Amino acid sequence: MNKYSLGEFEEVVMLTVAVLYENAYGISIKEEIEKRLERKVSVGAMRTALSRLEKKGFLESEFGEATAVRGGKRKRYFKVTPHGKRALEHVMETRKNLWESIPSIAFDFKLA
Amino acid sequence: MQPPKMAKSLLNWFCRSELIEDVEGDLSELFAQRVSDGKHFAKLKYYLDVILLFRPGIVKNIEIKIGLINYSMLRNYLKSTVRNLMKYKAFSAINVFSLSIGMAACLVIFLFVKDERSFDAFHENNIYRLCEVQSFPGTNTQNVALSMSGMGPTMTDEFPEIEKYTRFWGWGRQLVELEDKNIMVERMAGVDSTFFEVFDFKLIYGDPASVIKDPLDAVVSEEMALKLFGEIDVVGKTFVVQGDQCVVRGVMENVPKNSHLQFDIVLSIFSVGNEVEEFNTRFGSNFLNTYFIMNENADLDQMSEKFPEYLTKYVQWDDDLVTDYYQLFLQPLPDVHLASTNIEHDYNNFRKFNGQYIDVFIMVGIFILIIASVNFTNLTTARANNRSKEVGVRKTIGARRRNLFDQFIFESVFLSILALVLGILLVIISLPLLNNLIDRQFSIFPYLTELDFVTFCIGISVLLGITAGLYPSLYISSFKPILVLKGLKTSEKKSYLRSALIVVQFCLALGMIVSTLIVVDQLIYIKNKDIGFSKDHIVLVDMNQEADEHYQSMKEELLKKSNILGVAGSGQRIGNNFHQWGFKVRKDTGVVDVTPSNVHVDYDYLEVYGIELKQGRSFSKEYAQDNGLSFIINQAFADELGFDDPVGQKVGHSWYPNDSLGTIIGVTGNFNFNSLHYKVNTLSMVVHEDWNYSEMSVKINGQNVEAALDEIEEVYGQFVKTYPLEYEFLDDHFEELYKSDQQMGSIITIIAALSIFIGCMGLFGLASISIQRRIKEIGIRKVMGASIQQLMLLLSKDFVTVILISFLIACPITYYFMSDWLESFAYRVSINPLLFIVGGIAALAIALFTISFHVIKAASTNPVHSLRNE
Repeated sequence: MNKYSLGEFEEVVMLTVAVLYENAYGISIKEEIEKRLERKVSVGAMRTALSRLEKKGFLESEFGEATAVRGGKRKRYFKVTPHGKRALEHVMETRKNLWESIPSIAFDFKLA
Repeated sequence: MQPPKMAKSLLNWFCRSELIEDVEGDLSELFAQRVSDGKHFAKLKYYLDVILLFRPGIVKNIEIKIGLINYSMLRNYLKSTVRNLMKYKAFSAINVFSLSIGMAACLVIFLFVKDERSFDAFHENNIYRLCEVQSFPGTNTQNVALSMSGMGPTMTDEFPEIEKYTRFWGWGRQLVELEDKNIMVERMAGVDSTFFEVFDFKLIYGDPASVIKDPLDAVVSEEMALKLFGEIDVVGKTFVVQGDQCVVRGVMENVPKNSHLQFDIVLSIFSVGNEVEEFNTRFGSNFLNTYFIMNENADLDQMSEKFPEYLTKYVQWDDDLVTDYYQLFLQPLPDVHLASTNIEHDYNNFRKFNGQYIDVFIMVGIFILIIASVNFTNLTTARANNRSKEVGVRKTIGARRRNLFDQFIFESVFLSILALVLGILLVIISLPLLNNLIDRQFSIFPYLTELDFVTFCIGISVLLGITAGLYPSLYISSFKPILVLKGLKTSEKKSYLRSALIVVQFCLALGMIVSTLIVVDQLIYIKNKDIGFSKDHIVLVDMNQEADEHYQSMKEELLKKSNILGVAGSGQRIGNNFHQWGFKVRKDTGVVDVTPSNVHVDYDYLEVYGIELKQGRSFSKEYAQDNGLSFIINQAFADELGFDDPVGQKVGHSWYPNDSLGTIIGVTGNFNFNSLHYKVNTLSMVVHEDWNYSEMSVKINGQNVEAALDEIEEVYGQFVKTYPLEYEFLDDHFEELYKSDQQMGSIITIIAALSIFIGCMGLFGLASISIQRRIKEIGIRKVMGASIQQLMLLLSKDFVTVILISFLIACPITYYFMSDWLESFAYRVSINPLLFIVGGIAALAIALFTISFHVIKAASTNPVHSLRNE
């Protein structure tokens, strides 16, 4: 494994953070993932992924405004770091490489 | 609408602090969204989310919250503790030293208890020993450790609760013959093939399940293998016992000292020519120990109810009396060592111990710890004034009461840990001596590397420090800074708490002193009680096949020697209960069966042992019928039979035909052939010239023991070539009977001495303080004309009152406990009130002596010195 090790869910979370750009905080990320990937995301799973990514240095965060609906608690906005960007690119790169290396015949199911 | 509070506080409890804000915010936002779908749904979801958040990465690291620890403050506390220790060396020494003595005593008790409890603990299985309650006519009801050879197998068939059985048949000392040498093996036994599966004696060679399969299969201990063959791997080698060639199938580790079964060699139980089928269904005679492994879920009570039914079914006697005579019960393995004191014929029970004494020891250990902690509390409180300035200054600078409380608790915990270290050192120093006294091999070192033990000790010390320091800390920290800094002493009224604590201390100490006196009294009584025969200067020589053949000539030869006063063979050793055999008595109504204890003896037995006849005559060679047809009974048996004139009555062994019974020729007094824990049982003695003797009692000249032993050895050597001479003194054997009691006596004496010593150390310190405080008063009194005597009386009065009160409280409690203990002896002293007075006076005298140093010093100081400075 190299320094860009990234799990599938982690990758999804990072991409979503990037998609949301300046509006990426807990709930918005969760909703975005649920909407786009049509799957349920628990606060716990997402929060763990976010902390882990932050620890790896792929994400950074800062506190934003507090709202009444949040019981006076501030939002924590996430942003992809340059290092995180490289990680995402690296993942994409490797996938692309893999795709390109697949012999055309491998997916030619008509033959059978 | 608010999210549920409980869930929120739960989240707050476990969530990392750096995450909590936005996580909680997120959850609140979600909650607000969900409320539109229903309140309860939202709440439920909230809970669920919180629970799902309980995962690594979110849960905070476990930390014990003990508030803010201010290390520099702790350093300061330590510094002032050490300074105070050094400043008042005498008090610190008393304080720490008395606590460490208490701790040392507790550690020793711990070692003792641990050792006793470790007995048989290495066996993993759920093992029970089969025991019997025998209530035969004409004899005392008794609990017996032996059982019949048929019981093990048939009970295993009958009761599904029993998984496996194994039997242990002690064969005692046997001669092992090898090609080049003969060796006497002390402890040989016959066991079943299941023996090594039931018991976890470790095998070095051989498989537990198959090591003893056929007759004459043997397992030898490592030590015995070395002794016999000079090496350990001896599987397949052979040796000869009583003419039979045995094959070694396995080698085991030496039997540990904490096993109630002790043996050097075990053979298959079928090695003595006994037929498997017949042996496994043989009933009638009890001669071996039976052990069972029980199922985990066996209901023992339910099972015991079926024992009578079992007995009637299997032990098919003509009369249906078997259930009247026998009751069976199962004894769990740990009880075999610790709860068998009321069980007789318990031959295979190494160093059995009265488990109740363990409770006594634990209790006594707690007592001594209490006494030591009381010292601590009292001395610290009494010395509080020495610290008042310090408290004043600390409070002025800004310390709160809580801080001061912490400081003093810290101090007392520190001292108690110090005491622990000292206590361990004391144990290390004193253990060799103690081991000698109570005949054990204790060592504290293995425990010192055990984390559990160390933690436990430190935990107890900390707890002790906190408890003992609680009151002084509360008291000292309550000083008002203005008062103490102005130099006003805090109130000096009598401290009732302190007096009450001294009462507790001296109650315990007095109780132990008096108990010691009573125990010693009873032990002396046992030692000196007229047991109806002479046990001094009697050497018990073991008999064997060869010695038996030459018994008559050996006896004649011995009697020619100058230092040998008498010789008599006997079938069993005096000092235990003799075996019970069936016995017949012809009465007016017909022949009646009774079961007294029996022993077969030589003609001179009564003379050698100095047993007195109350009626009739002793055995004599002059009468032909004295060989097998004459019986001498004891008074207890005569009373039981109820004849007006027992001599001349027709009696006999149970196997004698009714028309050829023997006669009673004499009645002896009730001599105590069994331990004094038991009442004298009914007894019948008989001579059978052709029976083997198990030992020979030789009465020797007490003036010349060495020469007498030489003579025995010489004569024995003339006749017996294969078996070495083995002998024991009868009084040593009797010592052994009361060993458990004797050891308890020693321990309680030591502890009582220690407790009064610790108590007095405390008293010494207190006296010094309280007298110091009254030094001005004494000065004034002296100026006014009080005499030294008056002053001494005045100063001692308080202490005497306290000790008198303790005495009054201690007496009834001690009386109660000690009469309970004495109950365990059938022959006992009545509690002598004088002992209480002696104990009380001794304690008072010691206490007065302790304080006298201060009292005399204070009473004789020149008032000028005490009154000069203010």
